[in-house]
Amino acid sequence: MNANAHWLDERRAEAANRFAAQGVPHRRIEDWKYSDLKTAIDGANDDATLTPAVTGPLTIEHLVIRNGAEAPDWVRLHLGALPLNAMASRSFAQAREVHAFRVGATDVADRLHLVFEGAGSAHVLIVLDDGAGLTLDETVMPAGFSNIGVEIVVGANAQLTHIRKMPRSDAVQVEEYAVSVARDGVYRAHLFNGGGKLTRAEFQIALAGENAQAHLSGVSVLGGQAHADITTHITHAVGRTTSTQLFKKIAGGKSRAVYQGRITVEQGADKSDSRQTAKALLMGERAEADLKPELEIFADDVKCAHGAAVGDLDANSLFYLRARGIPEAEARNMLVRAFLEEVVAEILDADIRATVWQAVEGALPGAMAP
Amino acid sequence: MLDIKNLHVAVDGKEILKGLTLSIGAGQVHAIMGPNGSGKSTLSYVLAGRAGYEITSGSIAYNGEDLNALAPEERAAKGVFLAMQYPVEIPGVTTLTFLKTALNAQRRARGEKEVDAMTVLKTVRAKAAALKVSEEMLKRALNVGFSGGEKKRLEILQMALFEPKLAILDETDSGLDIDALKLVAEGVNALRNPERAMLVITHYQRLLDYIVPDRIHVLAGGRIVAEGGKELAHELEAKGYEHIVGKAA
Repeated sequence: MNANAHWLDERRAEAANRFAAQGVPHRRIEDWKYSDLKTAIDGANDDATLTPAVTGPLTIEHLVIRNGAEAPDWVRLHLGALPLNAMASRSFAQAREVHAFRVGATDVADRLHLVFEGAGSAHVLIVLDDGAGLTLDETVMPAGFSNIGVEIVVGANAQLTHIRKMPRSDAVQVEEYAVSVARDGVYRAHLFNGGGKLTRAEFQIALAGENAQAHLSGVSVLGGQAHADITTHITHAVGRTTSTQLFKKIAGGKSRAVYQGRITVEQGADKSDSRQTAKALLMGERAEADLKPELEIFADDVKCAHGAAVGDLDANSLFYLRARGIPEAEARNMLVRAFLEEVVAEILDADIRATVWQAVEGALPGAMAP
Repeated sequence: MLDIKNLHVAVDGKEILKGLTLSIGAGQVHAIMGPNGSGKSTLSYVLAGRAGYEITSGSIAYNGEDLNALAPEERAAKGVFLAMQYPVEIPGVTTLTFLKTALNAQRRARGEKEVDAMTVLKTVRAKAAALKVSEEMLKRALNVGFSGGEKKRLEILQMALFEPKLAILDETDSGLDIDALKLVAEGVNALRNPERAMLVITHYQRLLDYIVPDRIHVLAGGRIVAEGGKELAHELEAKGYEHIVGKAA
C-alpha cells in the first residue's frame, strides 16, 4: 500500500471516529430536534454503497476513488478537508468509493447529471477550478435508508448552479453538503423536495473570500405523512459576502415541513449582506411546519434580514377568485402556485424552471388532498 | 331580477342586516346610501356569497332562484358580479392570466366554449383602452402595486369583460380623485343596458352625480329607512344622514 492510499485510509478512519463519537443524530440534539433520525432508521445500519448514475461531458474529470487507489493532488487537497457533520462523516467512512469531479475553467457552462437511486451511502467531491462554471443537476430517488455526503469547492470567480430534485418517497434520506466559496465565486442551489419518511438536506456553506455569494431557494410540497427538513448554515467568514435564502413549503395531510437556517457573520466580516425568508402554507389540519431562522453576528457593519411565516391560504384572495367564477379547488390551486411562483422564478434557466414546475405539479395533488 | 325580502344577516353571531327588503328589475340602476356601519358592505358580501355571512331569516331571489343556495363561483357564472371595495392583491398571478381563467371558468360553468388566450387578449385590449388600463398593468401580478384608481378601473374592466346581469358596485368611488371617478363612472355608464341591473353602494352623493340612479334607498341600522328618486341623494348631502334616519325612526 503506497503513502497516497494510506492517506485516504486515515481520512476515512478520522471520519468514522467523528461519526462514532456523535452517533446517529436524534431529537435531543438541538440541530435535529425536529427530525429524529435515530427513531426513523430504527437500528437499520445499511452499509451498502450507493453508486450514482453519472452523465456529463467527458471534459469533466471524474474519478472513482477506492481504498488503495492512487489519487491526484486536487483530490488529496480537498477530500475530507471541509468540516463534515456526523452524517457527512458517516457517508465518507461507509461508502467504499468516492466520486470526485473536477471542472476546469475551460469547461464553462457544462452540465453534470447525478442520479442517486436506492439505499446506501455515497460520498462525492466536486471541485470547480478558479473561473469554472457548472450546472449540477442532481436527482435523488431514495429507498430504505440513504446517506449522501457531498463536498463542493467553488474556486475564485467560479459559478456553480445546483439543482436538486427529490420526488416523494417512503425513504429515510439524509444528504449533507459542505460547500466553500472562494473570492467572487457564486454558489446557487434550487431545491425541490417531495419528502419521505424522513428526509433532510443540510447545507454547511462557508463564504470564504470577498464577494463570494450563496443563493439558496427551495420548494417543498408535502402530503400524507411526508417529512422534509432543510437545514442550512451559512458562514460569512470574510466581509463583502452575500447570501440569500428563500424557502417555501406546502404542507398537506399530516406532513411536516422543517426549515432551520443559521447565519453566522464572523468578526470582521463587515459589509456582509444576508437575507433569509421561509414561509409555509398549511393545507392539512394536522400538518406542521417548523421554521427557525437564526442569526449569529460578530461583526458590526452588516445587513441581515430574516423572516418566517406559517399560514393558511388567504381567505380574502380565495373569495375574490371564487366571486369571479373560479371554482374553489381551482382557486386554491391558483393560490398555491402563486405562492410558490416567486421561488421557482429564482431559477434563471427556463428549461430547469420547467422541470421544477413539473415536479411541483406532480406533488401538488398529494399535498392538496385532505 | 333581484328580490330581497325581509333579509336578516348575522356576522359572528351579531345581526347586521335586520329585515332588508329591496327589489331591482332588469335595466334599472339602484343606489344604496348609508352611513358607516349601516350594513352596506354586509349586503354586498351576502349577495356575492362570502363565507361567514349567515342569513338567519328572509330570502334573496335572483331571477326566481334562491341565491343563498349557490356557491360564489356559481353566482358569478349566472351573472352576479361584485366590484369590490378592496380588490385583493395576488402576487404570482398575472392580471391577464387571471382574467382568462375567470372568464373561461364562467363560460365552462354555463356550458359555453372556452376562448383561447389570443381572443381573450384582443377582447381585454379593446375594453381596457377606454378605462385607461395599460398593457403593462395587464402583465403585472393581479392588483400588486396598483394605485387605488387602477384597482377600481380593473374592477370595472372585469365587469365589462364578464358582462354580468346583476352588477353590485361596493364603494367604487372610495379613494378616487375626481378624474378617476369620472373615468370609472363613464365605464359603468357604458355598461348600462335594458338587460342589466346595477346596485351602486356608496357613502357619498358624489358618485351618483355621474352614475345617475333610477332609485335610491337609504340603509341605516340594517334596514332601508328611506327611499326616493335621484333627488334624495342631494337631500342627504345637504341635510346629512342623521336628519333622514332620525325622521324615519
